[in-house]
Formats: sequence, C-alpha cells, structure tokens
Amino acid sequence: MKGDTKVELKIPSLPEFVAVARLAVAAIASRMDFPYDAVDDIKVAVGEACTNAIEHTAYSAPPGDEIIISCYLEQDALVIEVNDEGPGFDPQLCTEPDVLSEGGLGLILIQALMDEVELTSLAGQGTRVRMTKRLRPAPLTPAR
Amino acid sequence: MNLTVKSRRLGTGTGVISLVGEVDVYSVPQAKQAMYELVDAGAHQLLIDLTATDYLDSTAMGALVGVMKKVAESGGWVRLVGPSPRIRRLFEITRLDRILPIFDSEEAALGDLSGKEGRA
Repeated sequence: MKGDTKVELKIPSLPEFVAVARLAVAAIASRMDFPYDAVDDIKVAVGEACTNAIEHTAYSAPPGDEIIISCYLEQDALVIEVNDEGPGFDPQLCTEPDVLSEGGLGLILIQALMDEVELTSLAGQGTRVRMTKRLRPAPLTPAR
Repeated sequence: MNLTVKSRRLGTGTGVISLVGEVDVYSVPQAKQAMYELVDAGAHQLLIDLTATDYLDSTAMGALVGVMKKVAESGGWVRLVGPSPRIRRLFEITRLDRILPIFDSEEAALGDLSGKEGRA
C-alpha cells in the first residue's frame, strides 16, 4: 500500500461526517503499519482539523459545502491535507488559548500529536492544514 | 448516534454524567444538554464518568470547561473519572487536567463528600 499513493476524500462540511473522515484516515494509517498509538494520534488530529474546517465555514459557506481530505502515502510518512472553502484568516493573528478557553484547543492537539504541521490560510481562499506523521522503523533487536 | 449519555444524582448537590461512546463535534450537544440539565436541577458538583468513553475531542473539552465555569460561580466543581490513558493524555496536552482534576474511581473523586451526602 506504500509508494506515493494519494487517497482523496470529500465530505460535506457538517458535524456528522467528521467521524467518517477520521475513521477513513485511521484505516489508511493502519494499512501503512503505523502502531496503534500513532493511528490514534492521526485519528484525533484529522478529527480536529475537520472540526476546525466546519467551524471556519459555518457562517460563510452554504450548508453542506465540502471539506477535502487528501492523504499522501509516502514511503516513510503519511501526509494529510485538510482543505476548507471558508473565508480564511491570518494565522499570525491566532493566539494561544488560555486554560479557561472553551475553544482553540484543536490546533494545540494537532501540533502535539503530529510530527509536522503547516497551516495556510488566505482571506477569501480558505484554509489548509497539512499534517505529517512519520513511520518510525521498529527498534533493532540486539544480536545474540 | 455513537454516544449514550447517562445521568444520575448522588445526594443533594452532586450528579454523575456517564459518557458512553464517542464525544465529538456531532454528539457534544447531547452531552452538554445532560450536563446543564443536572446543573439546572441543582447539582453543582459534577462527576464526569469517562470509563466507557472511546473518543473525546476538543469540542467536548470546551463543553467541560464551559460547565466547569458555570458551576464554579456557585462554588461547585467538575471532576473527571476513569479516562483511558489516551484520553487522559489529551487533557494533559491541553493542560486542562489542571482545572478538571482526573481520578481513577468515583469514590476517589468524591473524596470527603462520600460520607457526608450519602450515596443514592
């Protein structure tokens, strides 16, 4: 299943479809032989990215507009892009939420759980979150 | 629906919400409704039973912070019971474990209250 394959999933920008996205990407990660904990990290990160996308588009796009999840299956990594068609924003203006914030936690989780995260957002052009999880080689067994 | 929410009272001012299944952006309104119903009925000390919670996202965490702030206005609290190591880690990453204390069991979470209010 490895070897620079791309899998693309389009879901309506609605809360009930977030589980579809996270389970589909988790299935891809499982097939790539990511360990269980890494699959779980990927599942949470995709769920958070899709949830953010729904929130970005909630007041701007027609209900049911699409979120596109692109998965790039590389030899040593899974790269996932989540693109929305919302109004976009200036990532520089994002501030880290304090501990009593009820929102803004999704990006903190994504950054903690994935190896690389890139956020691109331009006014009028939507937002893209690009996340990479690396496949780590199994630890070497000492020679007897 | 992938979430079942159970709620029960423990004595006068204490309630337990059990979240069974997945709490995410889709199912979180169901959990919020149950929590606020208990609060409105006078339970300002809330145990959130996560022993059977398979998945929990940031919208669920936000809902827990919201209800915690609500009950804190009247001297109440929210305590978490029995999350899996995976879910516990999410609370540690976001540092919410500092304001939403995590306990291994209901008895431990109730602490000195267990003898005072009587168990239902």
